[in-house]
Amino acid sequence: MRSDRVLRRTGRGAGGIARIGLTLALVLAGGASARAEQPPAESAAVEPAPGETAPVEPAPVEPEPTKPAAVEPAPAKPSLEESARARPFRDSPLAVEVHGFVSQGFILSSGNNYLGNSKRGSFEFNEVGINFTKGLHDRLRVGVQFFARDLGAVGNYAPKVDWLYLDYRFADWLGLRAGRLKAPFGLYNEVNDIDSARVPVLLPQSVYPILNRDILLAQTGGELYGYLRMPPAGALEYRLYGGTLFIDPPVAQPPLSLKSFQVPYVFGGRLMWETPLDGLRLGGSVQQLRFDTAYTLPGMPPMPPSEITIGIPFVLWLGSFEYAAHDLLVAAEYGRWKADVETTIGPASKVDTVVNERYYVMAAYRVSPWFYPGVYYSRLVENVDKPMHRDNYQNDLALTFRFDLTTHWLLKLEGHYMNGTLDLAPALNDGTAKNVLKRDWGVFFAKTTAYF
Amino acid sequence: MMDPTCTSTARKRPRRAAVEVRALALCALMVLTFTAWCVASPPVLAQTARPIDYRIIVHPKNPMVTIEREFAAQSFLKKVTSWNHGGVIRPVDLSPDSPIRRKFSEEVVRRSVSAVRSYWLQVIFSGRGVPPPELQSDDEVVHYVLREPGAIGYVSGHTELRGARTLLVQ
Repeated sequence: MRSDRVLRRTGRGAGGIARIGLTLALVLAGGASARAEQPPAESAAVEPAPGETAPVEPAPVEPEPTKPAAVEPAPAKPSLEESARARPFRDSPLAVEVHGFVSQGFILSSGNNYLGNSKRGSFEFNEVGINFTKGLHDRLRVGVQFFARDLGAVGNYAPKVDWLYLDYRFADWLGLRAGRLKAPFGLYNEVNDIDSARVPVLLPQSVYPILNRDILLAQTGGELYGYLRMPPAGALEYRLYGGTLFIDPPVAQPPLSLKSFQVPYVFGGRLMWETPLDGLRLGGSVQQLRFDTAYTLPGMPPMPPSEITIGIPFVLWLGSFEYAAHDLLVAAEYGRWKADVETTIGPASKVDTVVNERYYVMAAYRVSPWFYPGVYYSRLVENVDKPMHRDNYQNDLALTFRFDLTTHWLLKLEGHYMNGTLDLAPALNDGTAKNVLKRDWGVFFAKTTAYF
Repeated sequence: MMDPTCTSTARKRPRRAAVEVRALALCALMVLTFTAWCVASPPVLAQTARPIDYRIIVHPKNPMVTIEREFAAQSFLKKVTSWNHGGVIRPVDLSPDSPIRRKFSEEVVRRSVSAVRSYWLQVIFSGRGVPPPELQSDDEVVHYVLREPGAIGYVSGHTELRGARTLLVQ
């Protein structure tokens, strides 16, 4: 019963978040239009809107009107043109930031299908998103991002609330966020689906798997964060979070039927040390979560149906290194993800432990403002205790070119040499088992993104 | 009789060859695009032949006289948001194509303007904040700094400050 309630609650939770997100977006949009129609009195004095009649002499702005005017330096009297261009300032309490992106990609692979029907070329690689952010106070901010994608059989343009938050920053060293929040795991987890915010089309899949986006990218709950300056030892950035995930339950294979699925918890943290050497960051991330799934197995009469429960606690950790100074970026991460698969069938139970090994090394250099090439090597091992057959690992050597065609439009071209079949899906390859699929294969991506 | 396996393999070969040809064509396109861009675009450094100087300015009531470079960089990236004497820091940038911004970014933030833009894209689309406003001219920056008590900006060395105070960078 409890599990049923959880399932129902899960469904309501996801829908509820979408409704809250939509409401928030409407409120934000309402605020924006309200500002346009009725500028605040202070702004009206110095910043007449285009087309309005300008005051003969805009009143000088006094930061603190209670002080005598004589000791104040003469404030600037902006021209009408200047004021109109400068308005609205983003930090204005009434300003709403709106940003968005649209991506279209193309995948072509040799040897095996990857992420879609890529051997014949696939355009099923699209992303679209829009976000609204509004500062309600100097230290209080709310925001929401809607996101939809199509990646082979995944996504199919179903819109989702990507993130949704209320953020209060008490001080630089302490802030609090609540809502649906992107999980700070590693250096780039939060931008795994934001093409414009990274160099490669695909981030190293060993650490940032694109197909596990729903599990790893965001959690619903709360987060504490802060930034501590420690001159001359650099600075520390910490983030601690906890909550749950709203994800689709697994599909049961007949004759099993799904009885319940829940994610009782997800929590974790990330600590980053910004060293005194400019651009060098070192840090670590940890995440723990648990999946509880129950299936019903119909019994042969006169035996009653039996229940199979599978509990999987995961522990994920990752060590991170990044050097980003001037136009150079060098990054490397290493981690191990451990899963204890606890299976119970009637009175019998057993635990199988699987430990993944994941790492990559990446370098990129911005040759010019419009051209940003990069290269990385990534390796994923599914089970470090199993023999290294082709279906137990995935090596990926990638060369990527990012072209910033304008300040709001980019094109990426990227080639991968792949060794191993772990990252492949038999369902996309005529049901062929991973240990039979071609061990050495290649994939090429072209992707263009417009963003603002 | 023909071996059906052989027939199947023979059918696959042309298809595979076609895929390889397409892959080669795309690689060639990649190289051609790169070459065309290199030839067509002027070197970036040629745009900044003249020496450029800038000043970091704050509101007249700001009691600070000097500012640590690291603190200034963290302020413009909004990693620190409060002045030591209290109040919210309100950084303001010039537009990305401004040579003053380029110089300031390289010397104070120690990242190129493009790298800073990438940083802000990560922040914007992961829901962690918004960048400082970008104004088009030095005069607009001065106007903003005079209007906002917590403001910090940078302008070229010859800009009339109209009462805004200059901070020395340590």
